[in-house]
Amino acid sequence: MENDIAWQNELGRRARIYEDIETGHRFEGTMTVIDYAGMAALMLVLVLGFWIWGA
Amino acid sequence: MTDHVATGGLAAAEIQGQEASANRAAAERGDAPLLPSERLWGFWEFTYANSALAIATWAFLIGGAVGLFVGPKEGIAAIIIGNIVGVVLTALSTTPLAGRYGIEQFVALRSQFGYNGSRLVYILAVVVLTMGWLAVLAMMFGRSIDGLTALSAGEAANPTGIKMIIAAVGAILVTWFIVAKGPTSIKFFNMVVSPALVILMIVMLYLILQHRSFSELLAMPALSPPFEDNTLNFIIAIEVNLAAGFSWWPYIGNLARLTKNERTAFWPNVVGIFGAAALGEIVGLLAAVALGDSDPTIWMTKIAGPIIGIIALLFVAFANMTSMANILYTSIVGLRQVGTASIRAISWGAILFLFCVIPLGLVVFYPQMYDGFFIFLVWTSALNSALAGIGIADYFFLRGQKLDMRSLHAPQENGPYRFWGGFNPIGLFALAVGFGVYVLVFNPQTLESLPIFKYITASVPSCLAAGTVHYVLTRLFARGRGWGLYP
Repeated sequence: MENDIAWQNELGRRARIYEDIETGHRFEGTMTVIDYAGMAALMLVLVLGFWIWGA
Repeated sequence: MTDHVATGGLAAAEIQGQEASANRAAAERGDAPLLPSERLWGFWEFTYANSALAIATWAFLIGGAVGLFVGPKEGIAAIIIGNIVGVVLTALSTTPLAGRYGIEQFVALRSQFGYNGSRLVYILAVVVLTMGWLAVLAMMFGRSIDGLTALSAGEAANPTGIKMIIAAVGAILVTWFIVAKGPTSIKFFNMVVSPALVILMIVMLYLILQHRSFSELLAMPALSPPFEDNTLNFIIAIEVNLAAGFSWWPYIGNLARLTKNERTAFWPNVVGIFGAAALGEIVGLLAAVALGDSDPTIWMTKIAGPIIGIIALLFVAFANMTSMANILYTSIVGLRQVGTASIRAISWGAILFLFCVIPLGLVVFYPQMYDGFFIFLVWTSALNSALAGIGIADYFFLRGQKLDMRSLHAPQENGPYRFWGGFNPIGLFALAVGFGVYVLVFNPQTLESLPIFKYITASVPSCLAAGTVHYVLTRLFARGRGWGLYP
């Protein structure tokens, strides 16, 4: 029982840390529009390029 | 008095230290989110880790299967197209949230399917996939041993004979024994097997190019194209590779939670998993087409001659056992995470053995599965592509990339992810729709397809349909019922 309470406290502590980061917009290394655009461009170039080459 | 206080202070600090380390270990097992300071993998560490996961003997098998449908030129194109789309969509649905919150994948899944729904998805996606791969890899081990003994005795191999079955059964039992002993030995084998497989691939590529030039290879025909329509064969080859890309869905989220942030959780998959798997598959494809057989345990002996052939087969047998131990261990650790108290009460060795019963049955009673293993792979894509679509719709479009760590880890029975008896009917209905769309557009068992399959494949519409249904029905019905903490 005591262990369970301690564990719930630990979960609460970890959740609070994430809530603080979220509120302060302090997430590091987040994916931005550049990442998503780069990912879409890479996928498009590979799909179209190899489709034209291989089909 | 001061001494007593100092001693008491030290003891308290020691207890605190022990508690912190126990909490961190529990978080690493997935019981709690890992904090940013506890996550150690940067870009290259994660790239190396997922390359090691992707470089495995199954890459040879998938490459060989592609060679059945199309020649090497179309095959290379199909491998690149299928894998990049499959890997990017899978990574998008699982890794940004893991990199942001350090959350265990199936705990996060409570927000999409409910706390019991996530268990159901675990059984469908992880257990079935792992059991199938265990059987296929064990048969590949058995065929390697059968090929080895035949090569040593100068006889013809019998890939479906009793020797193969006995060796495959032995492989599963030895894997069970190794994993029952604990994970230390598995980690050691990983460090040896992955780099050695890269060397084996390079040697094989070199030997193939000694037989034929690259331009000759590119001009060769497919081994056994099922249809006269080359475009249809090409799209089926793409579909097999989409399935290979989507088949990482059950695994990469839980690796990505060990990375420092979203970017390091996402991009290494494009370098590691996509790059490494594509390389292995291309070697398997070129070898299969050049030597006229899609089975790596046969083309390896043909290409390398008896001495290098024996070494290669021994190594493949060993590498298969390592892959089997990896997937068995990961699945059972996960099963204990999502399992009920009665499942967690079963001893480690017993639950491992119970898990091996179906793969043992497949090896003994259905050895033909090996030759049609790509059919099994493509069936898994009907599920994984829909899961990817639901994951993207839920995390990016419905939740605006925000998860509630507190309620996801709190006791679930009365929490917001209870939905309907622990199941989110919307998420599960969307999964069924995605699965249905897939099978309607392309039947993996018979390879029959609708005309539209030639233009959009089956995985892509399945992913889109599941994501759209999940999005629309959640917007219409979930918020009013107070389900799932949607904003």
